[in-house]
Amino acid sequence: MTQTMTARDRVMRALAGEKVTPVPCFSGVGNVTSAGLDKLGYRFANVHNNAKMMAESAMTTYELFGYECVVMPFDLCLEAEIMGCKMNPYADSSELLYPTIKEKSTPTTEQLRAIARDPELANKGRLPLMREALKIVRAKLGNQVAVGTYVLGPFTLGGQVSELEHLLKNAFKKPDEMLEYLDAMAEVIIRIGGHLMESGYDYISVREMGATTDVLSPRVFKKIIAPALTKVAKGLKGPRILHICGQVGPIIADMAACGYDALSIDSKTSMKAAREAVGPGVVILGNFNPFAVLNTGDAQQAYNAIAQCVREGVNGVHPGCDIWPTAKPENIQAMMRAVRETSAD
Amino acid sequence: MAMDEAKKKELLQKLAQGVTEFDDDMVREAAEEWVASGDDTYDAIFDGLVAGMEEVGRLFSAQEYFVPEMLMAADSLYIGLDIMKPHMIQRYTGVRGTVVIGTVQGDVHDIGKNIVKMMFDVAGFNVFDLGRDVPLEEFLKKQLETNSDIVCLSAMMTTTMMGMPKVIAMIKEKNPNCKILIGGAPITDDVAVKFGADGTARDASNALEEAVKMIVALKNIQKEAMAKAGK
Repeated sequence: MTQTMTARDRVMRALAGEKVTPVPCFSGVGNVTSAGLDKLGYRFANVHNNAKMMAESAMTTYELFGYECVVMPFDLCLEAEIMGCKMNPYADSSELLYPTIKEKSTPTTEQLRAIARDPELANKGRLPLMREALKIVRAKLGNQVAVGTYVLGPFTLGGQVSELEHLLKNAFKKPDEMLEYLDAMAEVIIRIGGHLMESGYDYISVREMGATTDVLSPRVFKKIIAPALTKVAKGLKGPRILHICGQVGPIIADMAACGYDALSIDSKTSMKAAREAVGPGVVILGNFNPFAVLNTGDAQQAYNAIAQCVREGVNGVHPGCDIWPTAKPENIQAMMRAVRETSAD
Repeated sequence: MAMDEAKKKELLQKLAQGVTEFDDDMVREAAEEWVASGDDTYDAIFDGLVAGMEEVGRLFSAQEYFVPEMLMAADSLYIGLDIMKPHMIQRYTGVRGTVVIGTVQGDVHDIGKNIVKMMFDVAGFNVFDLGRDVPLEEFLKKQLETNSDIVCLSAMMTTTMMGMPKVIAMIKEKNPNCKILIGGAPITDDVAVKFGADGTARDASNALEEAVKMIVALKNIQKEAMAKAGK
């Protein structure tokens, strides 16, 4: 039975809380590799604004390594652009760089509510491109493989479109204003994420890395961040993953209470402690350090790190962050082999 | 009018507490009172403001304080510093240094970098802040222009730290004596060694601790330099 399932079935079932053997090995965040880009002859800086190039690049990790997903986009600027910010793709840099926001639009709470109600939203920014890219992927791969996408969480998106330092202080000084602001931000995310899911993406990650306990106290997470994350979970349809990197041990139970289908954690959080905190019923994806495992170590170290994730009971083997493109092909192969060989029936 | 010891002690306590509890008014009033007395503000800065910031660092390490609290404490510290620094009689002129600091290209996060910069400001270093998302060649250019003792590079994400080894190689080639300190969430001791940096902090997400360690590293560098100079 398990053998005949497609990669898409395996991922979708795991996200629905079913036991899948071997555990699926996929990501809800960026995973394009230089190996894939080189095969196509594409520069990373050029793939973000071209549906065909984005789609082709996104498929390569599945095609080359059997990685069990296709995820688009690759950068963290999609929503911010829709909200009037300007992206810098570093087109002229010889370095491999992720796009960043070079001009922030700093919307007010009222402006956020207006954006969330914008009847033309589906045609803004790169949303048309995201629909087009999905069509290209489906035309080639059909339903063999799950196609994921992601949005930023309310607080992290706030830091993308306005000054993070201001938000951090306000989370402490003006909690009521912040609750309103994040509530409005949640509405924007629901519109954008909802549109992506309606256009046919299979699952969506909500990335709230700005609210990790390396930055904010568990108390602030519970009081200020969790209500907006809960609103986003309620407002989005389809499998939703809540991804927070860094140390989330002290807030994992609060994350679970936000109502997502799955939680995604990184290597700074102990899988054992996370499982103990939330119990066997919560789907946890994780929790390896992609840079250490896929880029700096050797293939055997990669194999061992992934085997440990499987042994500790992840419901899906998932990186703690975007896979850095220069990941070594032999390490990715070792990761896939470790998942197959060490998942117990 | 010079203050007596009891008054000094009271104001030092207010400066420290004002920083620790981000009470801008408490810091402002104590700093103004100190300046009005005509006394040298050196002690007020180091035994008052910096002592308060050290307590903030301790609370941060103990996970009682988080980044917002640290930012607010930094604001309070700067209020006191702006009032008192013009009245400080500079001493230990031999142990000051010049620092070039910035967040590498591709990274727009500068909170950690700013906290580190604050510590350099307080310690009386001559700081050239290049800001965030800084093209790699700019670090070399500024280092050569200022002949700085130290270059500090910051990156918040794995995906942006890859520019660091390139900057380090560029600078070391032209000026092997320049010390390079790197910091940011993804930086570990292993990464620092691999990149050819002279130092980093173990817990990289802890920006203040990182700053304190950098200061210690700097002091050691200066001690070495002074020892070499036969002082």
